[in-house]
Amino acid sequence: MEGRPTDGELFTRAQRGNQAAYEEIVQRYQQMAFRTAYVITGSAADAEDAAQEGFVKAYRALPTFRSGAQPRPWLLRIVANEARNRVRSAGRRHQLELRVAERFRPGDAAPSPEAAAVAAEDSKRLLGLVYELSDEDRLVITSRYLLELNGEETAAALGIPEGTVKSRLSRALARLRLRVEEAAGA
Amino acid sequence: MDLEQRLSVLVAEIDWPPTPDLGTRVRARITAPAPTQRPWFQSRWAMAAAAVLVVLAALIAYTPSREAIASWINVHTIFTRVNELPTPSPQPSGPLGKRLGLGNPTTLDQAQSKVTWHILVPASLGQPDEVYLQFPPDGPPQGEVTLVYKSRPGLKTSGQTGVAVLITEASGKVDAQMFGKMLGNGTNLEEVTVNGHQGYWISGQPHVFFFIDANGNFRDETLRLATNTLLIDDSGTVIRIEGDLTKAQALEIASSLS
Repeated sequence: MEGRPTDGELFTRAQRGNQAAYEEIVQRYQQMAFRTAYVITGSAADAEDAAQEGFVKAYRALPTFRSGAQPRPWLLRIVANEARNRVRSAGRRHQLELRVAERFRPGDAAPSPEAAAVAAEDSKRLLGLVYELSDEDRLVITSRYLLELNGEETAAALGIPEGTVKSRLSRALARLRLRVEEAAGA
Repeated sequence: MDLEQRLSVLVAEIDWPPTPDLGTRVRARITAPAPTQRPWFQSRWAMAAAAVLVVLAALIAYTPSREAIASWINVHTIFTRVNELPTPSPQPSGPLGKRLGLGNPTTLDQAQSKVTWHILVPASLGQPDEVYLQFPPDGPPQGEVTLVYKSRPGLKTSGQTGVAVLITEASGKVDAQMFGKMLGNGTNLEEVTVNGHQGYWISGQPHVFFFIDANGNFRDETLRLATNTLLIDDSGTVIRIEGDLTKAQALEIASSLS
């Protein structure tokens, strides 16, 4: 069956200098790269720059990509590093702004517009509490839950050892839980 | 619903900014014009790359895997392809270490107590004006020490950074870090020997410094001053001397390292 080339095939071709193959890699991973950079920089413009620069650097670094390795953490590490460099150069992080859309939740059976509005309100409040966390807590929670990165990918995106991700995440969740409870009690 | 479930649900409701289409733009940037038709020159670069491999292979404490060697040999293909490099931008005001991304200010003694290698200081420049130390996440796994020389007689001081010479040292010993160098057009690589150690004089445009860290992870660092750079592989310590220096000046500084 004629299917899409696998990531492995694309990387092999790109490593041999096939730029079309690399373009396809970029297209496959640009959303993940851009959103991760966005979470780190808090600015769509900076995230776009960082993702683009990251992909260009990754192309130059293709010889260091080991065949059979996971492309996601490898690319994330490079792009996230670019994003952090931008935050460092600017001397500050932009305030991250994510909006919540009123959408039907998967699995919900024909929710009423009212129920959808309540659910969106609920999500907005939760997102607001995530924003109020320290950068460190917020980044690990957004990486894991909003970007849906696994442990290795989160480590790559945050530039920390994989073993640190778990402990940092559980501490961040504990602090978030406390804020959720405080907000509910208020 | 518990907190983790609520967070998981949240993901479906986030309105992300639209992802830009980067494929075409990235491709345009990696499509380099045909390299200058000077085969002897290219093969010299290839030989330089091979020499780097040999020296590193001899220096590092373990036998590198076949993939590592393969990736290393491939470096010369990059030399010819790169035509555009990010220029380290002049940074906004703030402490020097922060502007240049050097890490935290410290003293030589304190830095020495925290890193595994013997920090080399050039006798010709004397004691550094400032010392910085950087560990992960921003620095390499075993740390990185930067010596800052703001001004010295006979050396130019960069107007942008107010720095004359930056000396950056990182260990490549136990974890056998390998570094690669991605050179842009208009950048020259020349092999030199400093006190019996292999060195590389890189002159021309700004460049980026790449290496593989202890975990086999790719790392890149922008050379801070975007000036001529002398790289020395000093038995497990990789030293970079950056500054608006002539080759003779850089070599004089390097040969006074102790």
